[in-house]
Amino acid sequence: MGKLIVSSLKLLYRDKQALFWALAFPVIFAVIFGLFDFTDVPDVDIAVVVEEGSPVSEGLLDGLGEIDAFSVTSLRSLDVARDELVKGYWDVVLGVPAAAPGQPLLLFVLYNETNFETNQFAISAIERLAGVMNLQIAGVDPPPVAVESRGIAGKSVEYYDFLLPGLVAMGVMNFSIIGMSVAISRFREQRILKRILATPLRPVKFLTAQVVARLALALVQAALILAVGVYVFGANLYGNVLWLFALATVANLIFLNLGFAVAGRAANPDAAQGIANAVALPMMFLSGVFFPTETLPEVMQVVVRYLPLTPLIEAMRTVAIDGESILRTGPQLALLGAWVAVSFAIAARNFRFARA
Amino acid sequence: MSATTRPGEREARPTGSAEAEGGASREPAVEVVDLEKTFPAPGGGTLTAVDGVSFSVARGEVFGFLGPNGAGKTTTLEIVEGLQSPTAGVTRVLGLDSHRDRNRMKERIGVQLQAGAYFDYLTLEEILDLFGSFYPRQVAPEALLDKVGLLDKRKALVKQLSGGQAQRFSIVASLVNDPEVVFLDEPTTGLDPQARRNLWDLVQAIHDEGTTVVLTTHYMEEAEFLCDRVAIIDNGRIQALDTPLELIHGLPAAYRIVFATHQDVNDGELAALPGVVEVASPANGAATHELRVSRAQVTLPSFLDWASGRGVEVDDVRVLPATLEDVFLSLTGRSLRE
Ligand SMILES: Nc1ncnc2c1ncn2[C@@H]1O[C@H](COP(=O)(O)OP(=O)(O)OP(=O)(O)O)[C@@H](O)[C@H]1O
Ligand SMILES: [Mg+2]
Repeated sequence: MGKLIVSSLKLLYRDKQALFWALAFPVIFAVIFGLFDFTDVPDVDIAVVVEEGSPVSEGLLDGLGEIDAFSVTSLRSLDVARDELVKGYWDVVLGVPAAAPGQPLLLFVLYNETNFETNQFAISAIERLAGVMNLQIAGVDPPPVAVESRGIAGKSVEYYDFLLPGLVAMGVMNFSIIGMSVAISRFREQRILKRILATPLRPVKFLTAQVVARLALALVQAALILAVGVYVFGANLYGNVLWLFALATVANLIFLNLGFAVAGRAANPDAAQGIANAVALPMMFLSGVFFPTETLPEVMQVVVRYLPLTPLIEAMRTVAIDGESILRTGPQLALLGAWVAVSFAIAARNFRFARA
Repeated sequence: MSATTRPGEREARPTGSAEAEGGASREPAVEVVDLEKTFPAPGGGTLTAVDGVSFSVARGEVFGFLGPNGAGKTTTLEIVEGLQSPTAGVTRVLGLDSHRDRNRMKERIGVQLQAGAYFDYLTLEEILDLFGSFYPRQVAPEALLDKVGLLDKRKALVKQLSGGQAQRFSIVASLVNDPEVVFLDEPTTGLDPQARRNLWDLVQAIHDEGTTVVLTTHYMEEAEFLCDRVAIIDNGRIQALDTPLELIHGLPAAYRIVFATHQDVNDGELAALPGVVEVASPANGAATHELRVSRAQVTLPSFLDWASGRGVEVDDVRVLPATLEDVFLSLTGRSLRE
């Protein structure tokens, strides 16, 4: 058995091309998603149309200009501003009509409905500004109630901190579902499985050695991705790496089972590659590798929550970002455990060492 | 043993020596009784790949299956090796049932699969060492590689070998457990004549060590040269089974007399000569004629008399023995490679 495991490891690490891509793939994603800057407050482009200048409109413009997230432009024509809003040049158009004596100054806001969050933020900022100005004009200055907000220095979770556990999980998944199914399918095509069957070796031993080798190498892969994430991209890792490895190994059993199931169904290695991608890719994009699953439509969240990659990533983030122990990931572990059993049953149903 | 030994000279050896050692209690190396295998046919219905095959192979024998593509050679072999299950019938190797006693049987046989490959990223030495570790008894990789002249390639990968070397390796990889019976499925298909010759030497060397060899082939020269006995198989049935010499002698026309002439000859007169079974006239006026005859020594003098009597100038007169190709043709009405 020892010799078999060593040989299986040699087969994996000598296949340099496959090994390279198993590592390069997650790193490429790290680079690409690192290009996006997710840390800024939304930037709001506001067009202000002032019909008739007044001290109030001046004060309003000044007040808006002081808000960092706003970039304010003055326009003359409301019609032009509205057109440009429709074309997407502006997020918000603020109209300041001429003041009629004795009447309150009625500001009006046009906003782009497709960009709800940004605009809620803009509208409430404008309302607050109007409130402050009302108090000032009413002579209540300083305002009777003020809020002093003070930021407490906490840990700042940057996008890379969020992304890194997802990439590790994705790397393990691809390495096992795609790698294992293609490898086994190739063994079958080369008649190596049949050749093994002609010896007294029990097939289950051969498969076990394959599994052990891949479990081990997946940890090396995970360690390398974590290292690149932390040392190259400056991601923060608050939790215990050993817990991450433990989670990856449990989930890897699921992915390896799925790999065997795919190998059992595929007619040849190319087909295995295709089927394995069809299994892995949806999880890669849905299970929250790159974005929180909360950003998905609610109906989908219900399904996505039960995909095996989702609880793995959730648990890994609980450990990596929140610095929790693996014991705090009970629901995720339960789901992973259930998947280990289910995926084993799927593999047993679909995979045969020899055909016919 | 030299590579040029003719089949006839070897006939006495195998069964005799095996019986002498083990006595009557020693079972035959391989025994197959009423073997049948059907597959679901692609268009529905069933395809009978093996259709009532029975034979037995004595210990120490080199036994060959000769037959065209799809004849059922691989299927028969793989059932005997315990790799496929039979639809009906019994197969035993060394007295062990290929299926019920599969594990004990596997320890004592060696298997080379048709077009089988080995791991891409292990060296020759590592592959032999790994496969050897599956058996209770293991031959040292160096000794095996030395046997096939690949010792200097022991750190090479299979893909770095030439076609002939790779084939030699795949044979020697079936010997890691010093098996009593080896099964070689088309060991020389796709090789050039020199590499094939080289493998024949290897098979003979294995045979000389007392190992029973069961092989399949498309090549009648190979069957004729290597095998003590040959089973001619077609459409899943054994059409004939005997030593190559007996198979050929069993033909109504065991020899051919070939000659060339530019004159017109009367086929009827040739056919009337003693011992002539068939006259093959040359197509579109070519010069070479062929007589299929039962005994050349009877026909030849009459033929020469006829030629001088008729004033026919014959040239390039040759007497050729029939081959297994002719046996196959006469059994099936088809040529082996068509
Ligand atoms: N697994 C299978 N499923 C369906 N049909 C099969 C299967 N294996 C073999 N056959 C069919 O059984 C017949 C015999 O095949 P087999 O491989 O035994 O031939 P063979 O004599 O070894 O031919 P070759 O010289 O080409 O290797 C063929 O018609 C083949 O198509
Ligand atoms: Mg075959």
